[in-house]
Amino acid sequence: MKMRIFILTGLIVLSGACNEEFLDKVPQGQLTTDNFFQTEEHAIWATNAVYNLMRSFRVHVFAYLGMTDIVSDDADKGSLVTDANFLRELDDFTYDAGNLSLNDTWAGYYRSIYRANLAILNIPEVPNMDENLRARLIGENKFLRAYFYFKLVRWWGEIPLILEPLSSDQFKQARVSVETVYNQIIQDFTDAKNVLPIKYPSAEVGRATSGAATAFLAKVYLTLGDFSKAEQFALEVIQSGQYSLYPNFEKLFQVEGENSSESLFEVQATALETGGAGSQYNQVQGVRGTPNLGWGFNRPSDDLVRAFDRGDPRRDATILLVNEPLPDGSDFVHDNVNILNERYNQKAWVPNHPGDIGNGPGNIRIFRYADLLLIAAEALNENGKTDQSLTYLNQVRTRARGTRNVLPDITETRKDVLRTLIWQERRVELAMEQHRWFDLLRQGRAAEVMIAHGKNFIPGKHELFAVPQVEIDLSGGTISQNPGH
Amino acid sequence: MRNKAIILLMGWLFIGAFLPNNLYTQSTIQGTVFSSDGEPLIGANVLLKNSDSGTSVEIDGSFSINASASDTLVVSFVGFQTQEIPVGNQTTFQIILLDDSEILDEIVVVGYGIQRKSDLTGSIASIKAEEISAISTGNVEQALQGKVAGVQVTPISGRPGEGAVVRIRGVGTLNDASPLYVVDGMLLDDISFLNVNDIESLEVLKDASATAIYGSRGANGVIIISTKKGEYGAETTFSVNVFYGTQSLEKKIKIANAREYALLANELSVNEGRSPLFDNPESFGEGTDWQNVIFQDAPMYSIQLSANGGSERSTFNISGNYFRQQGIIRNSDFERFTMRLNNTYKLGRNITFGHNLSFIFSKNQFEPGVLGSAYSADPTIPVLDSTGFFSNTTINAPVGNPEAEFFYKDDNTGTGYQLIGSAFGEYNFLKDFTYKMNFGADLKFDQSKNFVPVFLVSPIQQNQQSVISVADGRRINWLWENTISYFKEIGVHRIGALAGVTAQEFIFENLGGSRRNLIGDTEEFFYLQAGETGTETNFNSASEWSMYSYLFRVNYTLMDRYLFTGSFRRDGSSRFGSENRFGYFPSLALGWNLVNESFFTNQDIFSRLKLRASWGKIGNDKIGEYEGKPTVTSNLLAVFGTSEDIQNGASIVNLANPFIRWEETTQSNVGFEFGILDNRFTGEVDYYNRTTNDILVAVPIPKFIGADNDPVINAARVRNTGIDLKLDYRDSFNKFNYEIGGILSTVKNEVLELGEGKEEIFGGGLGVGGMLGTRTVPGMPIGAYYGFQIAGVFQTEEEIASSPNRGVEVPGDLQFIDVNQDGLIDSKDRTFIGSPIPDLMYGFNLALDYQGISLNVDFQGQAGNELVNAKKMARFGTSNFETTYLNRWNGVGTSNGEPRITNGGHNYEFSERFIENGAYLRLRNVQLGYTIPTSLTDKIGFQSAQLYVRGTNLKTWTDFTGYTPDISSNSVIAVGIDRGVYPVAKTISVGINATF
Repeated sequence: MKMRIFILTGLIVLSGACNEEFLDKVPQGQLTTDNFFQTEEHAIWATNAVYNLMRSFRVHVFAYLGMTDIVSDDADKGSLVTDANFLRELDDFTYDAGNLSLNDTWAGYYRSIYRANLAILNIPEVPNMDENLRARLIGENKFLRAYFYFKLVRWWGEIPLILEPLSSDQFKQARVSVETVYNQIIQDFTDAKNVLPIKYPSAEVGRATSGAATAFLAKVYLTLGDFSKAEQFALEVIQSGQYSLYPNFEKLFQVEGENSSESLFEVQATALETGGAGSQYNQVQGVRGTPNLGWGFNRPSDDLVRAFDRGDPRRDATILLVNEPLPDGSDFVHDNVNILNERYNQKAWVPNHPGDIGNGPGNIRIFRYADLLLIAAEALNENGKTDQSLTYLNQVRTRARGTRNVLPDITETRKDVLRTLIWQERRVELAMEQHRWFDLLRQGRAAEVMIAHGKNFIPGKHELFAVPQVEIDLSGGTISQNPGH
Repeated sequence: MRNKAIILLMGWLFIGAFLPNNLYTQSTIQGTVFSSDGEPLIGANVLLKNSDSGTSVEIDGSFSINASASDTLVVSFVGFQTQEIPVGNQTTFQIILLDDSEILDEIVVVGYGIQRKSDLTGSIASIKAEEISAISTGNVEQALQGKVAGVQVTPISGRPGEGAVVRIRGVGTLNDASPLYVVDGMLLDDISFLNVNDIESLEVLKDASATAIYGSRGANGVIIISTKKGEYGAETTFSVNVFYGTQSLEKKIKIANAREYALLANELSVNEGRSPLFDNPESFGEGTDWQNVIFQDAPMYSIQLSANGGSERSTFNISGNYFRQQGIIRNSDFERFTMRLNNTYKLGRNITFGHNLSFIFSKNQFEPGVLGSAYSADPTIPVLDSTGFFSNTTINAPVGNPEAEFFYKDDNTGTGYQLIGSAFGEYNFLKDFTYKMNFGADLKFDQSKNFVPVFLVSPIQQNQQSVISVADGRRINWLWENTISYFKEIGVHRIGALAGVTAQEFIFENLGGSRRNLIGDTEEFFYLQAGETGTETNFNSASEWSMYSYLFRVNYTLMDRYLFTGSFRRDGSSRFGSENRFGYFPSLALGWNLVNESFFTNQDIFSRLKLRASWGKIGNDKIGEYEGKPTVTSNLLAVFGTSEDIQNGASIVNLANPFIRWEETTQSNVGFEFGILDNRFTGEVDYYNRTTNDILVAVPIPKFIGADNDPVINAARVRNTGIDLKLDYRDSFNKFNYEIGGILSTVKNEVLELGEGKEEIFGGGLGVGGMLGTRTVPGMPIGAYYGFQIAGVFQTEEEIASSPNRGVEVPGDLQFIDVNQDGLIDSKDRTFIGSPIPDLMYGFNLALDYQGISLNVDFQGQAGNELVNAKKMARFGTSNFETTYLNRWNGVGTSNGEPRITNGGHNYEFSERFIENGAYLRLRNVQLGYTIPTSLTDKIGFQSAQLYVRGTNLKTWTDFTGYTPDISSNSVIAVGIDRGVYPVAKTISVGINATF
């Protein structure tokens, strides 16, 4: 009898346990969508998570360099001849739609866009938060989203324009026209410009500012060939008085030049002992061999070496050669017998730092005031305002020459000739900073220059990259391929 | 009124028909019931035929019953042959029941109980202990390979201690398709802890009638394992089982030597528009064979001591085992110590307690990742350079020096402590009812440690700061089961019923961290505190899931001829959102023992003949714990400020699907069993049809969606149909016994439809760029290979110009077939170029025995599947070449198969070039044994002793060029893709089994 009571009790206890509570298991130690975007802090975190990806391998590191400098006439793949074949394919225009660089970059940028979209969608609903902060954070996310799309549209042309976080079943998205993408980019940069602060308190430096958004508008319009708008926004930045050229061109790319007076926007990185806050941007371009600083990719091309005027100090500040002392004097570049004609991107060089070499502390300079000045110069020249154009162009040259008796002021007034001189100035001033490829495309002379450079560039095809085949496959065929690929 | 009288009369007549004839001359008779080995058969039924009076046997084996002379005693006990004995004038009986297995009607372990094999309606394969322990492996799953029709076993790898991927009746899911394991009642997903020698029996439950009682966890089949127990009243027996073996690599992959490499690398450089790498390829000889550097012959051994026996009221089985397997790749090593204690205790007449406990200590040493580098490292470079230091192997290809990897990365270990087992209590009441409470637990604590010192071999093979990583894991998995079962034989009726409630919870938590710049490089410093403060990282995460179920089953057997089984289970699982939390899983089955029909009594051909049919629904819940709950990832750090401060970041990184619901499999099975000539020739054939609805799939989605993961959705309907066949013939003349057996199974896998909005599912990232090489669409098998067909190699520019092309080809490149005939080659010309699912799997064995000398030979194989040589597809630099490259095109007419050499581009698009035939036949096991005659063993105090020599995986006949055609995968949409698998070794061993 006792036993039967025992059994009965057992069954009852067990049955009683069968309530929802026993089967309700929530993720441990993690926020879920149920309790996220509930506080001001969450809104900040969601925004920071977008900045987080700006340091990531897929956004600003390896394939990125392939699709900016290496593909252009400024740089060769570098490193050992056979290492990273997929970058060589970009260099040689032999890549196809299966190329790893294309997949990686596409994925990296859209992942970043997802995070920005998530923040843009949810921050308006966060209860009890400071309205100025709310507007600013939304503005930052729009800025970042526009930044990502501005890259994507120049790489691939028509692209899926995703403006809110999609769910997994929304995989059928069509490419939209380039014009539509640009309209969105302009909208986002404009929204950002209107709400973002001119400056941040020192603890928040590195966040997107209204100046940066304005500068990007200038660049976008320049890309679109709308020179009057380009001029308007470029001058707005100049006239804000917030920015000035950093006196020492070489030091601008060293630690002391981070977040300088010249900085419109740069990706913030630092080397913690524990890692997690650096980027590999420095490592992949670092000296391969002795001293042991990196992988040695993105080699400044012979053509770039020749592009500098005799005595232009920027050449030495841009290119690190064998036997040249490192910028901090700690060592010199030893010859690596396995690499022919080695050269490195000095602008990506960083001194010794905590953590291993993958923990690069160097901020990635995205938009410098010099770039903006040259945009102004170019737009003004196109708009027939030669004098003003020359003023800004020569500001850049003045800083570049430093104390040397080189790089005389330009006085050319013929529009076409001046245009070429401005383009040349852009090339040497911004060399190895991942602008060249976009400039060539914008200027409509990618085919001409690249063919002259000896590359197997097919006009009408290689202006745009191939859409990753994986994306075409996975979209159920709603994404099409670019012409020629 | 009249009607009532008729009913009463009829009722009386009806009852009367079942009443004993001589009601009035009863006397008390007494007796005992024992088994043939002298064990009292407590609880055996003693009934009077055609009556409902009966009794059961007491603890001392005795019984008493009132009966008359004309009665017939029917004595039965589960697991024994029923006997009928006319009472006559006898008043005392000494009855010996013969073991059922002696007539091949063995007892089969089924879910939550046991059943006679003759009463089974489900498709269940039983494996005997000897069959498993006859393979030289430490892993039970691997021992099953080729043993059971319908079960495909693919070793995950040959890494010491590693398990296998087990698929029962094909792949019914796109998700985790591995079966549920039930070890002594404990439900588990992993049985790597089990010591092969401890296993008493193993049953594979294949059809829905057998598995539906496991509800949502039964859809991929169930493997029930019982470990060895003692016997009541048995003398204590000690056993020793020892074997020692040597493992070696069966075959190397054919890759180029230094001279060939230099030649090919030069040609490649020229093909890619660069100058040759080597001045004089002919000056190189054989160079370095990096495969020789990483592989070794390695020992494997096992020592088992055990004792078992029992008293009248208790049984025991205790065993201890030490197993050690060093790997055929250097620096890999596995040791395991297991202890087992299985006891039962009788408390009074109706109560039994027992426990099956096992303690396991295991230690793993993991080799560094050298398999890929041995395949691709530059053979022109010696292991050590002229200074005696490790050579820089990264000049022509980014491939580290494997020898240096071994040297610097030899401190990667895992240790585990596991306590696993169950304790149960059983209470018999009201004669036919048994209440059983079972509490099972699997507690596992493991720790991994990885230390890497500072070293520099080359820029891509270096570590600038020493680092120690430590991780502790804690897993608690408990199961509480309460069942009431009923069993009764009433005349020609045999009824069994079961009802139960079970709950299970699984809790996992880990904790770990790392630090850099240790104060020492030797083992005594492998603790976090030996690292530099400020360099630490840490993590701590946890997950939980729970399940709650009700289960019911009824078995009914009429006249030993007609069989019926019905079962039902309701499961609730925390893995599913509250909308879809509960699943309902019924099954029905019928069986017909034709051989017991009266019209079959006058024949002596068939000793067994049974038809069975079953239908049921089962579920699969094998998804992550929180797939339905979108989580937010923190620690997405951002840097801001002039002083470079770190700020937290958080976002959704992985997409979740809150609408996720159960995956449901409906399985029908028709089976036929026969035994001919006193069961000398036996066989079983089953046809099954398994359709899975709402398959849970981790589906790759376009990257423009922006998720990092492949979210799980209920996406598809898949059907598996096939036949499982098992045939055995055994006979003897004089003292020569022999047995020939074989199994064969076919699988046809077909996707019926994909979920809403999906026309296709791509999978399987291949090559450097992660090309998708499988495509799953309705009408095709899951994960079929999808790429270009090859017409040949373009010989001339003219040929390219006059053929459809991609616009990138030059002479020497592959010519793809223009499948859609639109005049150009593009991604739309890809088509299905192979299936990873074998049409046919088979095994056969031969066993001979003559006066103590025995020979067992097992073969096993499969046919009709393809494999992908993905190793060859991914070239990050001018790494080494398979020798197939020597047949390359290098001028008109030189090759129409292997293209010109490049490191990437057109010829590395996924095409038939990388598809290979996956068929193989393997000599799985050969064992020659000698049993020492008892006359001799008696003298040395042994009961029995057997010595043997054994070869496992001696030879595999296959066209596949990789180490092994056993290529496993956890993702069913990326199966058979060989990216370099630690090969399973060939093992030759000697051993002894002795009892005393």
